Amino acid sequence: MTGGLAGEPELDRDRFVPRAGLIRGWVDLYLTMFRVAILNNIQYRVANYFYMIGMIAEPVIYLVVWSTIARQQGGAVGGLTSGQLAAYYIVWTLVRQMNIVFTVYGWDERIRQGELSAMLLQPLFPIHWDIAFLAGWKLVTIVMWLPIAVVLTLVFSPALNIRVIDVAVFAVAIWGAYLVRTMLYWILGMASFWTTRAGPLFQLMFTAELLLSGRLVPLSLLPDWAQRLADVLPFKWTFGYPIDALIGQLPAGELIGGLAMQLLWIVVGVIGVRIVWRIAIRHYSAVNG
Amino acid sequence: MAGREVLRPIVLAGRFFRIGALNELQYRANFAIQVFQSAIALGTGLAVLALVFSQTTELNGWSEPELLVVMGVHILMGGVIGMVIQPNMVRLMEDIRRGSLDFILTKPDDAQVLVSVRDIQIWQAVDGLTGAIVIVVAVAQLGGAFGLGQALLFGLAFVLGGLTIYCFWLILTVGAFWVVRIDQIVELFEGVYQSGRWPVTIYPGWLQVSLTFLVPIAFAVTVPAQALTGRLTPGTLALAAGFAIALMAFTRWWWRFGLRRYSGASA
Amino acid sequence: MPIASANASQPAIHVADLLKTFNVPVREAGLKAAVQSLVHRETREVRAVDNIGFDIGAGEIVGFLGPNGAGKTTTLKMLSGLLYPTSGEALVLGHVPSKRESAFLRRITMVMGNRNQLQWDLPALDSYELIRAIYRLEPGAFRTTRDEFIELLDLAGLVNKPVRNLSLGERMKVEIVGALLHRPQVLFLDEPTIGLDVTMQKRIRSFIADYNQRYGATVLLTSHYMADVQALCRRVVVIHHGKILYDGELARLGAQFDATKTIGVTLKDGEGDLSAYGEVISSEDGRVTLRVSRADAPEVATRLLRDLAVADLTIEDPPIEDVIERVFASGSEGPP
Repeated sequence: MTGGLAGEPELDRDRFVPRAGLIRGWVDLYLTMFRVAILNNIQYRVANYFYMIGMIAEPVIYLVVWSTIARQQGGAVGGLTSGQLAAYYIVWTLVRQMNIVFTVYGWDERIRQGELSAMLLQPLFPIHWDIAFLAGWKLVTIVMWLPIAVVLTLVFSPALNIRVIDVAVFAVAIWGAYLVRTMLYWILGMASFWTTRAGPLFQLMFTAELLLSGRLVPLSLLPDWAQRLADVLPFKWTFGYPIDALIGQLPAGELIGGLAMQLLWIVVGVIGVRIVWRIAIRHYSAVNG
Repeated sequence: MAGREVLRPIVLAGRFFRIGALNELQYRANFAIQVFQSAIALGTGLAVLALVFSQTTELNGWSEPELLVVMGVHILMGGVIGMVIQPNMVRLMEDIRRGSLDFILTKPDDAQVLVSVRDIQIWQAVDGLTGAIVIVVAVAQLGGAFGLGQALLFGLAFVLGGLTIYCFWLILTVGAFWVVRIDQIVELFEGVYQSGRWPVTIYPGWLQVSLTFLVPIAFAVTVPAQALTGRLTPGTLALAAGFAIALMAFTRWWWRFGLRRYSGASA
Repeated sequence: MPIASANASQPAIHVADLLKTFNVPVREAGLKAAVQSLVHRETREVRAVDNIGFDIGAGEIVGFLGPNGAGKTTTLKMLSGLLYPTSGEALVLGHVPSKRESAFLRRITMVMGNRNQLQWDLPALDSYELIRAIYRLEPGAFRTTRDEFIELLDLAGLVNKPVRNLSLGERMKVEIVGALLHRPQVLFLDEPTIGLDVTMQKRIRSFIADYNQRYGATVLLTSHYMADVQALCRRVVVIHHGKILYDGELARLGAQFDATKTIGVTLKDGEGDLSAYGEVISSEDGRVTLRVSRADAPEVATRLLRDLAVADLTIEDPPIEDVIERVFASGSEGPP
């Protein structure tokens, strides 16, 4: 036997799928992970549903405040009518669900519980697991959201004027939003590799995101300078843009341009994850293991 | 002697506060973190107010300084919840779940009092202080006469509100621990508590009722704020007092009921 | 037990001059020191693994012994790629572990007491499917391996239940199956039987032995239970304070470190005072256990049989636990 034990493809062929099946392997992997996520979600469907319903409190508060103002101003605030605001915050509830990614605080837990070590022993870059697991989870969530949307529609009577292209772009954009936010939070969460006191950093980020993503108010209600700031940050592509894509009656150029911006931020995110991960793991493997 | 009985919870809380303070003083970085977080929260709140009043001059009859009062009370009450109520309830939930409550039950003091004051997050006092400052600033902005009577009225409404929120949490903790996860309850409450940033009167009727009797945000924040802005009617105050007393009586019964079930299960 | 078979010329695990140091903060008591440590943190270098070296041949099962904090887990983590060595050489199946190449990870496994690669709320079978997809296992071979393991460990009724409903021992069994589904050639087992009852320990032990036989896999194992080591390992490596104290056959460990034997005596007419014959270690139910030096053992036995009415007498090597204790007690200076 030459070349040492490192090569030995003939030894492996009886139990590993050959390299030629690489794409099939990825598809199979993601499908399997989706399945596990869905099975997990179904286990906790009741608790999850209560949780989803509870999460409606936040947009309802925003909606009530801004509709009150709209009414006082004679029907519209910043060009948005009560009906449009209702539409915005109802779509908001789904986009918020799509925005759920692996938490930045979760890394600390992963490191302390030894979960990270278990992940590092597997021949798979761990972000795939996070992406696939929560994506699979969301497949169930979207279905569970539909009745909630119906009830909210009946209560708040939104003004809906949706074209086919809006739906199509929205369907892609919510997943784009999910990926952008996943990358962002992965990079941020890796701060836990160096310190257990990254809380303030996270807090700052949450606040910036809350104000500049479209979560707190539609971005069009912000002062000009804040809107320009939001344009150069990733946040609005994870929240305001998908909502506006569905109900904002954006021109086709803006719709497609938004998807392109999401893609750009995903690419930036992937590069960022790669770089930070390499440094973080070197650090982790020097001290923790 | 009855007087001492009533004061007992406060004495106990004071003692636990001292222990907590001594422990925490070793970690002064936590203090800095808390100041930072309170500042961010305050900044966010002010930004939202500015945003609202860039579009309008009043919200449902409340002027900007009046809404600042509401915000101040919201932060202050939030500080009390974060300092005493929430940490104790989270710990109680964990104890019930792990079956480690026996330790408390063997103590000579009243168990309900003990589980309610044993864990005090002293740095949350920063939030309380922030809230107090916001209230003072806002009241000054309001101008007009502000007398001792109004301050006492506010104090009374605030205490009643705090007791109501405490009862709400304890009822939830004793009753709901097997349904949902702890962190989810905390997060949900924090979500709903945000509604208190605004006077509950701006919400539609069904929501107002829910925020008054289901999750008593109205009594915790809006009513004390009404006291400070000269809106509090005797009827509302009587309702707040009556509700608080009734809820405390129910909570007492519910706690005993839960305890019997707990002892039965762990024996 | 197949020791160093076909690939004897090339060890499965090669370790030379392996060193791992950690910087531990030095913290003095008192407020002043606490404040100072915020600005300038004083650290001290600790050698967790101190220039160790050994080779393990393909197919060997080696017990890795040492007290807590001796450097066992640190070494295993370095060999599995979780921890980067400070210096020195580690090669596993020709790979440098710290590179964590996919080809390397697919050929090894590491079982740690707290490792949980199974989905807590799902039956193990679902997690096994996930492992199949992650390791890109050929479906047919995967099913064969899985079913074989399930049968060997008698898991048929358990793999359908959510993992959270299993007992600790059952969970460990399904966990081990999960860790071996990709049929690794090198196994790092860190306390695989910790917290399990004796029956379960035996079960897992024989499964490991079986796996080693069947696939010629190399096993490096740490355990607090000497029974594990005695049943599985012909060779042991003893490590203490990061240094290797002994590397050789388990059977010769006693001879090198503990020049004593134990003599068990049962007297016909109950207990008597035997302290004149040697050090009495225990005395219960009419049976007295004595410790005597290895050289004196035959003579003491003869005297006992001559002087007293002996119902039963045995001469044994001291329990391996005692030997190990003596090894560690002897410190890091090496064998006396």
